[in-house]
Formats: sequence, structure tokens, C-alpha cells
Amino acid sequence: MFNMTRNKWKKGSALILALTLGAALAGCGSNKAAEDTAAAAGEGKPAETADKTLTVYTAGPEGLANNLIKEFESQSGIKVETFQGTTGKILARLEAEKSNPVADVVILASLPSAQGLKKEGLTLAYPEAKNADKLSKDWSDPEGNYFSTSASALGIAYNTKLVTTPPTSWSDLAKPEYKDQINIPDPSLSGSALDFITGYLSDKGDGGWSLFESYKANGVAMAGANQEALDPVITGAKSMVAGAVDYMTYKAKAKGEPIDIVYPQEGTVVSPRPAAILKSTKHEENAKAFIDYLLSDPAQKLVSDAALLPGRTDVKAENRANLDDIPLLKTDWTWMGEHGTEVTDKFTKLLK
Amino acid sequence: MVFAFLVLILLIALPLAEIFIQSVYRDGELQWSAPFRTLADSDMMVVLLSSIWLGVCVILGTTVIALPLAWVMVNTRLGRWRWLEIVFLIPFMTPPYIGSMGWILFMQKNGYLEQLAPGLSGLGGAFFSFGGMVAIMSLHLYPFLYLLLRGALERIGGNMEEAAAVMGAPFTYRFRRVIAPLLLSAFGMGAMLIFVKTIAEFGTPVTFGKRIGYEVMTSEIHKYISSWPIDFGKATSLSSVLLASCLLVWYVQSVVNRKYTFGLVGGKGVRRSSIRGNGWLQWVAGIYVVLLLMVSIGIPYFSIVAASTMKLRGIGLAWNNFTLDFYKELLRWNSPSMQALMNSLWLSLAASTIALMLGTWFAVAIGRSKSRGQRTIDLLSLLPNTVPGIVLVVGLILLWNSPWMPVPLYNTYGMVILTYVVLFVPYTVQYVKSAFTQIDPKLFQAGQVFGAKPVYAFRRVLLPLIVPGMLAGWMMTFTIASRELVGSLLILPPSMQTSATYIYAQFEQGQVSLGMAMAVISVGLTTLLLILLEAAGSKRKWASP
Repeated sequence: MFNMTRNKWKKGSALILALTLGAALAGCGSNKAAEDTAAAAGEGKPAETADKTLTVYTAGPEGLANNLIKEFESQSGIKVETFQGTTGKILARLEAEKSNPVADVVILASLPSAQGLKKEGLTLAYPEAKNADKLSKDWSDPEGNYFSTSASALGIAYNTKLVTTPPTSWSDLAKPEYKDQINIPDPSLSGSALDFITGYLSDKGDGGWSLFESYKANGVAMAGANQEALDPVITGAKSMVAGAVDYMTYKAKAKGEPIDIVYPQEGTVVSPRPAAILKSTKHEENAKAFIDYLLSDPAQKLVSDAALLPGRTDVKAENRANLDDIPLLKTDWTWMGEHGTEVTDKFTKLLK
Repeated sequence: MVFAFLVLILLIALPLAEIFIQSVYRDGELQWSAPFRTLADSDMMVVLLSSIWLGVCVILGTTVIALPLAWVMVNTRLGRWRWLEIVFLIPFMTPPYIGSMGWILFMQKNGYLEQLAPGLSGLGGAFFSFGGMVAIMSLHLYPFLYLLLRGALERIGGNMEEAAAVMGAPFTYRFRRVIAPLLLSAFGMGAMLIFVKTIAEFGTPVTFGKRIGYEVMTSEIHKYISSWPIDFGKATSLSSVLLASCLLVWYVQSVVNRKYTFGLVGGKGVRRSSIRGNGWLQWVAGIYVVLLLMVSIGIPYFSIVAASTMKLRGIGLAWNNFTLDFYKELLRWNSPSMQALMNSLWLSLAASTIALMLGTWFAVAIGRSKSRGQRTIDLLSLLPNTVPGIVLVVGLILLWNSPWMPVPLYNTYGMVILTYVVLFVPYTVQYVKSAFTQIDPKLFQAGQVFGAKPVYAFRRVLLPLIVPGMLAGWMMTFTIASRELVGSLLILPPSMQTSATYIYAQFEQGQVSLGMAMAVISVGLTTLLLILLEAAGSKRKWASP
């Protein structure tokens, strides 16, 4: 008897909840419908109207991405939807959307990732891109699958209040006076840190590991992605970052923070930032127009204004060291692309 | 009940199934052994054990903080200050990575502690250890356990304790033989949620844990999901291990719960105990609360506010380095930050309201988890809490963005709300269930005797009794949804931000001060909203038992 009444009662309550819920969802539904039509109107179905949209997934810096897209929108009349995140976030999103892709163009901060996308057959070749011949050969695909439209160089960032005579060589960081005072970005979180490590190893061979072993002995700490490694140096908790991304340092320095960067004399690595069209794009023409824009003079000017290295060798930066002024290691990008995972594993285990 | 079951399958089981398929389906063929091979990696065992050890330590830490606090708030005059309830929630409203950063900025070399009191700099070294990590996480999570324990203590009321006191039982005996057994069911639920939250937590391990070299499962999972080559298979294999350990804990808890559930709410009206602390006890209680607030809110927020008002962070604490420019920049009308703030607000309002309705429905369907069907619903509605957010979110994308999905929800606001609902519905379920299982069935029988129809009985008997649980669940969901980061990063439609993703983007861009200022504003706004709600709610006669 007791059970029966309880069940009856429960059915009743479930009914009420179901009703309220239904009403609520219907409310949301109608909202959503309105949004959907709005979204559809923005998307502009190619069948009816001229195709005027493009979706770009881009890795920072945010200010540069915003400026590039604003200028492209006003030039071309194409409406650009953007998703901004780290290279890792962008790749994860691409992977999750694999069965029904959304993005048309990606701008990454890691060349090996773009090589990987090409290898998986996810990129669309655009060999006719304007000005592509002026790009640095090492960093872009000869078949036109990706274009490194900007780059950053890696150096040693240091707190000017704590370090009065900056180091001149990578091996200086193993000196006892810097014990426990140095950060290095985690190569599993930072593509540029990985570029630095693999780049160094591709020049020095297996002997290059002795540098990182001496770092370990001197208490060099792995500290998250680039910005997380740099921040403690700005606040003075650490003195230096090995393999620091230069444009972030220039930006903090321009603000007036007590920080500066040096490029060691034996040479360093440049970390290119490739853009690529995805094969799954439904707006191919717009995507190509966007790549053309990224390679154009005004876009390259915006790149150099953001303290990044312009991808085109014929465009010079004004407020930072140019490529000619930065001593470079002999890097082998094919080797680096193939050995990334293995080096990351070994390095993170070593520094743990 | 069948309908509830179906909804749960669609919302929760299917995305998880998508993930499972990913973990066994490698390179276009089915490989059942793939997850096990990932685990066979000997390092993984160590990482798993560190995760579990961390979970256990944080349960201890939160208990030490929350149990005395709950007792104090129920049994001393401090309990009259309802606004304190909201204040205790603030640590939980703070995004974990921000709270951890606050601690790091305070304790690190040349940090704020050293700038304020150079003599105490030795403390910093001791703080950057496993103990420090447990402390940070406990101080972040204790509100969880506190809310459940306080609810249970209030329902116990004074009668039982008084009866024991009349019989001459001293306090320790009363605690051991009366309060503790009655609390056990709520404590079990709270401890389980804390454990699950801890081992699925990502913010603190990635900020503080990285720094002291303490690796846990979530940081490993995150590695596979955020650097080339992206390997969802491996990530999901690891997640299924986390899932399994959480299920084990859930099982133990549900056994304990079935054994120690008592009909406490008997309709007699709950009266506060007359065993009140005497004068000095009130003082001790007051000091305890103040100290707790200083440590759990004072220190991290000192750092956060300090960092948000500095012109140059390289200069540190100095009056001529003070500025409010970042706040001005954020609060400009129609700026991206304002839009992000508004987005967060209405998205989490919508999500928590839907989660409230769904969660109450599920909790009622679960009832006292007597039948197998009910226990299945219980388990299903808890699952989202046991998987790291990022994994479940990937499952949701896989499901809702698949080509055969007829509902075009992906890349709309609806998808964001759905994600929040799925991620946070377990909270409402747990809170309502905890209130529901303690209602004596006699109440419904009484209603029945007087001829109440089911609808009437629901409205006049059940609803008033579970409303406090519902409110607590709603507040929790709203609080967490308004600062949710991991899911939002992946699922927000392009060109849209919430306050959490905005803060995160600022950190990525090196604008730490701007990010911190945004954190202060959004936590402040949430707190204000909750205080207003609480003020409005306490005028209703059923709001406080």
C-alpha cells in the first residue's frame, strides 16, 4: 500500500517537472531558433548570396590577429569569424570537429604542427599565392600547403634589475651564479620551446643533450607555456628564461617592465608561424584571398608592428632585431618535425 | 523514470560512449587492447597514485576546515549572519588557476609576502611543496563540504543531541554516538564529491603542481589533448582510469549512504539546540571564522587585487605603482570585456536554471535508490563529475557535431548552455538528493491520509522540504558555470568570449593585470548577485528550515 501511494505520487511529481522543463526548453528553443536564423543570415548560404564569410582559427598575439582581420574585412567585405587560442587548443578543436569541420584557415605558432596537418592530408595546396616566393624557403611548403607569414626568434629573456651583465652563450646559464634562477617553457605546452630544443639538437647532434643535462644540474625549471615562464621573470621571482619568445619580451619591455632579451652568439632558432587553408573549407575563394592578404605589404607591416619577424624576407622590421642581426643555428626542419614527440618525452623526463 | 533515463542517456551516456569508441578505435580499426597498452606504461601507475593520494589528502584537509565551521555556523550566534554563507562561497567562486596564482604571487621569491615582511621569506620555500598544494586545494574546495555538512547538521536539529545531553552524555560522546552517525551520509557524499573534484581538477595542478613537479592524471591527459600530435585515444584511455577510480569511490559511498540514511525530517518542526556555546566558545568560534576567512580569501585576494592595480608588475608593491586604469578599461560600455561579462552572466543563469529543473527531476526519480533502475540513474547523473571536464567536452563535440546529428546545436549559444548543464547537473542532483533522502516517508503518508492528490502533495509537502537543497544546488551551479573555463575554451562559437576565457586570454597575452582585474570584477558580480538572491530568498518562509 505504501509503495503504491509513493509511486503514484512520484509519477505526479515527475509529470510536473517534465511540464515545467518542457516549457522552459520550449522557451530556450524559440530563443535559439531566433539566433539560428540570425546566424544563418550571417553565414550567407553560398547557394543564394555571394559567399562572404570565412572562419579563421588563430594563435596569438591577440592584438595582431584582431588588426589583421579588421583590415582584411574592410578590404574584402568578407565577414570573418575567429577563434583565438594557443596552437594546442586550436589543434584539439580541429580534431574534435574532424567529422564536420568549421574552420577554413588556421594560423599556428608551430611549424611541426603544420607539417603534421599536411602529412595527414588536411591542408589545401595554394601554390599560386601572391608573394609566396618571397617567403623564407625553409619555413614554407614548396607545394603551397602552408605559409609562414610571421616568426619569432628565441633568446634569453632576463630581468634587468637582477641580471646586470647578460649572458652571451647558452652554456652561461649553467653557471653556479644562476642556480635555481632560470625557467624554460615546457616543450609539451609551448611549440616554440620545442622548436628551440629540437633546433639546437638538429645542429649539435646527440651531443646537444649535454647542454640540457647541465641545465638540469643547475636547477633550471620547466614552467608552463611561454607567458607562464616569462611572468616570474617580470615579477622578479626568477632571473631568466631560456628559449624565451622574443616578441613577448619586446612587448613587456615596451610597457616599461624591467626586462630585456639577448640572442646567444653561437646562434639560436627562429620559430615560424604558419598559416594554412584546410582541405575541408567550404569558402575556398575567401580562404585564398585571406592568404594573399596575409602575404601582402600592409599585413606584413602589421606583423612587424607587433614586434614579430615578418615572414617575407623583403620586409624589414623597425622596432626589433631583424633576421640578419640574429645569429642562427643550422636547423633542419624535416628532422625537427619527425623527432618532436621523442624529444619532448626525453626532455620533460630529464627536467622533471 | 524511464523518460529520465532516456534524457540521461542522450545528455551524458552518449558523449561518453563517443569517447570510449575513440579510445578503442585506432587508425581505422578496432583495437580493444589500446587503452590497456597506454596504461601498461609504468609511469602512468605512479601518476595515478599521485592523483589518488592528492584526493585523499584534500578530503582530510577540507574536513578539518569544514566540519568545525559547519558546527560553529549551526550552533553559535554567528549562524544568524546569513551573508556569511555567501562569503564562504567566495573561494569556490574563484577560478582555481587564479586562486593558485594568487598564492604563488604571494609566496614566491620577491613575492608580496617578502615585500611586506622580509623576515618571513623563509616560509615561501616550505610552501612550495605537496603540503602547500593540498592546502591550496582544500581552501578552494571546503565550501562544498561545508554546505552539505551544514545542511545535515541543521536537519538533525537539537532534539537528538539534547536527548543525549539529558542522559548525561559529554560532548565527545554526543559527537561520536549521535552527530557523527547522522552526519555520515552527508559527509560521505561530500567527501566523494571532493575526491572526484580534486582528481579531475586541472587549474591548480597546471599552475602550482607544475611548479613543484607534482604530476597528476589531468595534466597528463591535457598533454595528449593540447600538443601535436593530438591523441584523443590516449587521453580517453587515461580518462577511463580516472572514471574507474571515481566509480569505485562512488560505490563505497553509496553503500555507506544506504546504511546510514535516517528519516530526520519528521514534520515536527526543527528547533535549534539549546546547548549553546558559552561565552568563550563564542569567542573561539569567532576567531576561527575570521582566521579562516583571512587565509582562504584574504591572502589570495590580496595578491589578485594587488596584481590588478599595478602599473608595472616588475616594480611590485609601491603606492606610486598603483593604478585603476585596468578597471576603467574593462568597464567601458560595449568593450569586449563587458560583452564577455554579460555572456557569462546570462549563459550561467540559463544553464543553472535548466540544471536545477533537470537535477531535481533526476533526484526525485532516484528517490532512495532502492531499485536497480534508480541506482543506474544515480550513477548516470553523477558521471559528468567523475570525468575531467575537457574529456567530456570533447565527447559532446564529437556527438553534437557529427554529420548525422539532426539538431544543429553545435557552434551556437545553445551548445554552451547544454555543455554547462551536462557538466554541472550532478551538483543539483546531489544537493536535492541529500535533502530528499532525509525526509521521513510518514509525511507523505500523512498527506495521503488527508486526501492530498499527488500534485498537491508535491507542491505542499515535498517541494517546501527540498527547496533549500534546490537553492544550494542552483547557487553552486551558477557559481561554477560563471567561471567555467576548460569547456568554454573548446565549445564557445568563434568570436565569442565569456569572462573566464577572457581572463585566460589576457594571461596568454601577458596582460596579467588586466586578467586579474577581470577576475575581481566577475567574482564580485557573482557574489553580489548571490547576496541579493539570498536576501530575497530569506524572506520566504521555507527558505531556512
